[in-house]
Amino acid sequence: MKFFKLENNDELQANLFSFAIHLALFLVMIFSVGWQTKIPYYGEVEIWDSVPVQKKINKTQTTSNKKIKQQKKTTKVQKSNEAKAKAQKEADIKLKKKKAAEKKAAEKKAKKLKKQKAIKDLKKKVLKQEKLDKLKKEMLEKEKVERLQQQVIEQQKIEKMQAELRENELKQQKKPALEGENEVKGGVNTGELNKYKLLIQQKIQQNVNQQLCGLDYINLEFRISLMPTGELLGQPKMTKSSKIKSCDDAVERAIIQSQPLPLPKDSGLFSKLKNLELKFHPNGVE
Amino acid sequence: MKKSILLTALLGILVAGCSSTELQESQPLNPPQPELQSMLSDDNEGTAFTSPELNLLELRGNPLLAKDKRSIYFDFNKYVVKQEYMKIIQAHAKYLNEAPAANMKIQGYTDYRGSHEYNLSLGQKRSVAVKEALNSFGVDDSQIETVSYGKEYANLDCVEQNSCGEDRLADIVYTVE
Amino acid sequence: MNKFLQIIFAGFIFFSSSVLHALEVIEILGGKASQIPIAVMPFKSFGAQKAIGKINSVIKSDLSRSGLFYALDTRGVIAAPNSDKEVNFSQWKSLEAQFLIIGRIDFLKKEKVKVSWSLIDVYKQQTVLSGEYVGKEKQIRAIGHKVSDKVYERLTGSKGVFHTKIAFVEKYNNQKYKLNIADYDGYNITSLLDSKMPIISPKWSPDGKKIAYVSFEKEKPVIYIQEIATGKRKLLANFKGNNSAPAWSPDGKRLAIVLTYNTNSQIYLINADGSDVKRLIRSRSITTEPSWSPDGKEIYYTSNQGGGPQIYKFNLESSEVSRVTFEGKYNLYPSLSYDGKLLIYLTQDQGNFKVALQNLQSNQVLKLTKGPLDEAPVFAPNGHMVLFVYKDYGKTTKIGTVSINGLKIDPLPLGSRQVQEPAWGPIKN
Repeated sequence: MKFFKLENNDELQANLFSFAIHLALFLVMIFSVGWQTKIPYYGEVEIWDSVPVQKKINKTQTTSNKKIKQQKKTTKVQKSNEAKAKAQKEADIKLKKKKAAEKKAAEKKAKKLKKQKAIKDLKKKVLKQEKLDKLKKEMLEKEKVERLQQQVIEQQKIEKMQAELRENELKQQKKPALEGENEVKGGVNTGELNKYKLLIQQKIQQNVNQQLCGLDYINLEFRISLMPTGELLGQPKMTKSSKIKSCDDAVERAIIQSQPLPLPKDSGLFSKLKNLELKFHPNGVE
Repeated sequence: MKKSILLTALLGILVAGCSSTELQESQPLNPPQPELQSMLSDDNEGTAFTSPELNLLELRGNPLLAKDKRSIYFDFNKYVVKQEYMKIIQAHAKYLNEAPAANMKIQGYTDYRGSHEYNLSLGQKRSVAVKEALNSFGVDDSQIETVSYGKEYANLDCVEQNSCGEDRLADIVYTVE
Repeated sequence: MNKFLQIIFAGFIFFSSSVLHALEVIEILGGKASQIPIAVMPFKSFGAQKAIGKINSVIKSDLSRSGLFYALDTRGVIAAPNSDKEVNFSQWKSLEAQFLIIGRIDFLKKEKVKVSWSLIDVYKQQTVLSGEYVGKEKQIRAIGHKVSDKVYERLTGSKGVFHTKIAFVEKYNNQKYKLNIADYDGYNITSLLDSKMPIISPKWSPDGKKIAYVSFEKEKPVIYIQEIATGKRKLLANFKGNNSAPAWSPDGKRLAIVLTYNTNSQIYLINADGSDVKRLIRSRSITTEPSWSPDGKEIYYTSNQGGGPQIYKFNLESSEVSRVTFEGKYNLYPSLSYDGKLLIYLTQDQGNFKVALQNLQSNQVLKLTKGPLDEAPVFAPNGHMVLFVYKDYGKTTKIGTVSINGLKIDPLPLGSRQVQEPAWGPIKN
């Protein structure tokens, strides 16, 4: 009896509180595991009773018409020609038989030699293939390792660049607005800028598979961010859909395929191009 | 006396009967000949040699109506009846006019170039052209049917054999003599 | 309070400076028609090792025929993944594959199979579509066609036609004819009719259950409608003269046909039960080969009123006639796409018979094939492929598909059959 009597209020509060937290965490643990992205699944279990193959042959019997006569004429001529050809053929056949017999003997000899050679060659081939396979494997392994290494290096580069960019932006923030205006107007060569815009436009355009965009006038827009290497920073972001999913997908693929995009080395120019708005008209003008 | 006339009459009819079946060997279903019918029925007063029948026999003997002259040939993609065939057509027209029970079918053909349906139409144009020529000689449409086989019987090698002209024709066929 | 104002001020500066650094805009006009590189791996078998035909070959040739895909050669690829987890994305990227199809076949009891498959986007490194089919072993090709359809729809946005049927006429033994139907790729051929007289102009009803055709068995052309499942047929038209060129209206209730009586080929309308014939076009010239627009309001046809054959269209409401083809002197055999935007026909170009494709909005004409003796072109029901007959100057005829971007021409494996006039059956929902 005494067991259940609580000592004091504070302890009761503490106990209830810890119980509540435990319960909350428990519930979170259960329900948080439930989220996941869903891939469209076309699941259909079908059992087909019979393939719809139906057959009915309906024979029709009719007499020939007059035109058949003309064909009979031509078959007559054909027949006499055939008879002539036949006689010739028989004479030819006799000659051929003789020659064939002679040929056979010679061929038998040649065959034997060939076989022996073939076996040799096959052995060689198998060895070669095994070597090649080995090499391929080694190369792939090498490539894997190299790529991983590259990825690490690039990752470091990216982080460095991002850090620098952040620094730059912070610096610019501190400067008054007027100075910012100057930077936009003066100091940037618009000719160079347009050149790179054209290069980027051409490279992406080559990859737009407009067959997936129907026949009518259509337009869609994406926003992208680039790294100085020309690669995308993150995924392309669609800001206006064409309303045709296969077209949206095709254009997004085109952008991804176009990496690395041609970009200027000059950091001033690059900064103008690092964020771009791309407007697509896959089927031409309206 | 009467018996011998009857006998010769019967013989004459048999002869006429033989020659008429020859003309129709391409058609399996033949309605009986008008002349034969009139002979078989007892009610018929006349003899075998009445004027209309005699005329028909005479007309049939016309060499222009011979079987090997019943094809009218055309130029490529054309359906105009050439002048050289007009005499033959006239002879047929005369026959048809004299034998109102006779019926004719004109079958049009083309060479193999082009689509099946378009050539069916082209062949039809050819048979219609022959029909219109017959119309111009006074023949009524009720005695003529025009059909087409288009390119269905054309020789696919006619270009190599230089014989495409032989496929472009209209054939005259009597469904009822 | 001070801190708060500082933050607002900094935010304002940041906002204004970013507005001044406005985004550059690049306009990209047009593109380039290309084939999507796709790798279709062999499906591994589980539960048995039976030879039931390679499903990946069916899918590969389906997608290739459409002209929109390039099926990569997957022989010699070391890693053959059978599940999503096994995919080595960098390997596929280096092979320049954009998509990958993998799958497996599980053999079940009673000669049945379960086919599981996935479509994987190599760039995004994720599965975009997957599915499962159960069917009889002998239906493996049909299952393959279903997979192709699903992949095609997902990636192009258009319905797939790989499950559809075709019909065609075969001439054999020099003087006999058969009307056949088959899978669209030429497999599973069965005969509907065997005749000693010519058969022409087979046409599927819109519901795919009947075929109208012209037969010469009565020693003149007449039109029959035959039910495919039962083989029962009805004589639709046997009027005096020719009866030919049947064309089903989009709702399947009427047909446009060509009759001649004792005059030239003229187009008429008739109910599918043979009742109520009425003349449509009055012309002194040939009018034939009617073909309906998908909205049922216009009939395209061939006429020689301009001298040689050209394609015209007739408006059923206004009875107005207008000419459609203007390039070249010899254009016939019109066939419209399901959306009414494209027209294909046969054209003669410098002595060669070729398949022409015309955009009915821009009236641009493109020669899809080179000839010299192409004929009888018909559209696939999704408008992406064309079926046609072609021959060399030798006597062998072939039926083939050509994609409407012109990038792929492929024959059907019909052997040495003498074939004519194919017809493409409808999409089954």
